[in-house]
Amino acid sequence: MNFMKRISIVALFAFIFFHANAKTIKVVTTLTDLKSITELIGGDKVSVTSIATGYQNPHFVDPKPSYIISLSNADMYVTIGLDLEAGWSPQLLASSRNTKIQKGSAGYVDASEGIGLFQVPTAANRAEGDIHIFGNPHYWLDPLNGKVIARNIANGLERVDPSNKATYEANLQTFYKNIDDKMKEWQAKMAPFKGTKIIAYHNEWVYFEKRFGLQIVDFMEPKPGIPPTPSQLVKVINEIKSNNIKVIISSPYFSTSSSDVVSKQTGVKALTMATSTGAFPSVKNYFDVFDYDINQLTAALK
Amino acid sequence: MHLKYKPAYTHAIICLFLILFCVVQSKAQSTTDSTAAADSALLKQIEAQMQTDTTQQPAAQPRSSLSFNPDIGVIGDFQGLYISKGSRNFDMYLNEAEISLQATVDPYARADFFLSFSRDPATNKYSATVEEGYLTTLSLPAKLQLKAGKFREAVGRINPTHPHALPFIDLPNAYVNLFGEEGLNDEGVSLSWLLPNKAFYQELVAQITSGFSESPAFARSQGNHLIYLGHLKNFFTLSDNATLELGLTGISGPNDSARTTSIAAGDLTYKYKPVQMNTYHSLTWQSEFYYSHNNQTENNAVNAIGLYSFLQYQLAKRTFLTGRYDYGEKPYYNFIKEQAYSLTFGWYATEFSKIEVEAKTTDDNISSRFYQAWFRWIFVIGAHGAHQY
Repeated sequence: MNFMKRISIVALFAFIFFHANAKTIKVVTTLTDLKSITELIGGDKVSVTSIATGYQNPHFVDPKPSYIISLSNADMYVTIGLDLEAGWSPQLLASSRNTKIQKGSAGYVDASEGIGLFQVPTAANRAEGDIHIFGNPHYWLDPLNGKVIARNIANGLERVDPSNKATYEANLQTFYKNIDDKMKEWQAKMAPFKGTKIIAYHNEWVYFEKRFGLQIVDFMEPKPGIPPTPSQLVKVINEIKSNNIKVIISSPYFSTSSSDVVSKQTGVKALTMATSTGAFPSVKNYFDVFDYDINQLTAALK
Repeated sequence: MHLKYKPAYTHAIICLFLILFCVVQSKAQSTTDSTAAADSALLKQIEAQMQTDTTQQPAAQPRSSLSFNPDIGVIGDFQGLYISKGSRNFDMYLNEAEISLQATVDPYARADFFLSFSRDPATNKYSATVEEGYLTTLSLPAKLQLKAGKFREAVGRINPTHPHALPFIDLPNAYVNLFGEEGLNDEGVSLSWLLPNKAFYQELVAQITSGFSESPAFARSQGNHLIYLGHLKNFFTLSDNATLELGLTGISGPNDSARTTSIAAGDLTYKYKPVQMNTYHSLTWQSEFYYSHNNQTENNAVNAIGLYSFLQYQLAKRTFLTGRYDYGEKPYYNFIKEQAYSLTFGWYATEFSKIEVEAKTTDDNISSRFYQAWFRWIFVIGAHGAHQY
């Protein structure tokens, strides 16, 4: 009995000791793709929440006070940067009362560091619509940029949790390998469609377009952020007819009404693609985004 | 004797020197050891950093607009007004030009300035005022945040919001009766505490202000009688698409009778915004209730109540319709009871400009019903921060 008591006490202490040591790094990300990559790099050392869902417009996330609860307790914050989240992220960060995740702190990760950017404007002029002064911020839609994002996230995790650096580095190498392996598969699937002209709803596909050799000839929006106008739809219909365009690509958070009109007029297929992890129930991680989109596109372009 | 003692004395000195030498040596050794240990740790750190730095990454591209200038924005508010009484019953005016300057001060605080230029209807002259100018801490412990300067106080939902961001052009009667057209906007300090409640968001705000910016309910006291305010904000996430906010406010301060006015207020806001299509459809139902207790003389106090309730429906991506009901008793003459109904149509061209048209009918029990109509065009250039949810 005495012996059992001792065992129990030792077991209790061991449990408390290991439980105390099993502290996970709490990470809040702005987008679900950053959440997915952080989970792949951090493994069981991290617990991650994302503010935006995978099916909402990342420019227009409502800064609900409820997000402040998780931000106030976070060890690390990961943002896409380049002003993508300018309408909501700074306000949430300032209200979080958490010095660990403020810009410039060890726990602040700007995933865009080191990304080769497209569409960096030479002048900031809102007459051109919702332009981004640092360049197009939808860079996660190139899987190779996923590797840069992962490196930035690993650097952040190693800053806030140096004791698990080896784990993060090992997971990063696995992530690199998995991206490289999948890239071969994705590029093989997209190879027959190199140079294919398509229409996009909003200017958020440039990184995907360049990586997989597509050619976006026009947008449903006359200018970024301005809803489609009748004159723009007429222009797009003429372009579809003259270039024999087969596909319009859009995102889950845009109305399909204008694409449907153009589709009826021309027979073009309107595809709602996944812009982020969680866009559709089957898109469960960062890799699934490209699996889903490439499968949709190749099926439509055949 | 002298010679006999000399060796012993010398031995003692030698021993003392030896001991001292050993101590110094051991000290020096331990210092060397600790320095060596520190050097080695530093070396390891540098090595680790260099290892991190040498990881293969494309060179970061230079970012434009790198400067320490604050984010600068200018908001124009052009309005037109019609009223169904009086000899000059139509007017057009630049209601306000607001300049916002916002930046982080240092790792410990950020600063926000809103400078307002507007025409005084009485003198027809433009003048500049500091609408708000305050410092907010970023690094206080225990989830505290301190604000100091001139700021719009934490009374419910309308008062902290700049008028250009409201979904109607005029302000609710009950609100204006207590706080005036400029709102309760005063100089002082504000301490807010994020309660450690993981189930829902709870924030407690305590504010002490000087009463410098006078409002109908409060006046600056000749003595040290300050305005004290407490606000509890509760925010519930009902689902991904729906939220509910319940706020409770208590204010106490000097009035123009050199006595105390106390106000109790409550606010309730329900928002429905489908996450996936949040730029196309939304619905907001927001109400505030005010109860004021004004001590006029030793034996005379006036109690008054007031409320507003509005429903805003987003018809399409850029069009909004807002209906509002107002009820207010005048805080010092509570036998005067006002009721008003208004309807506002808003067309939000982009995030940076909107046009609104409002019609309102007001009735009180001492004068005849009258009608008002407004239009306004709000336009923003430069940077402009997000508004509260």
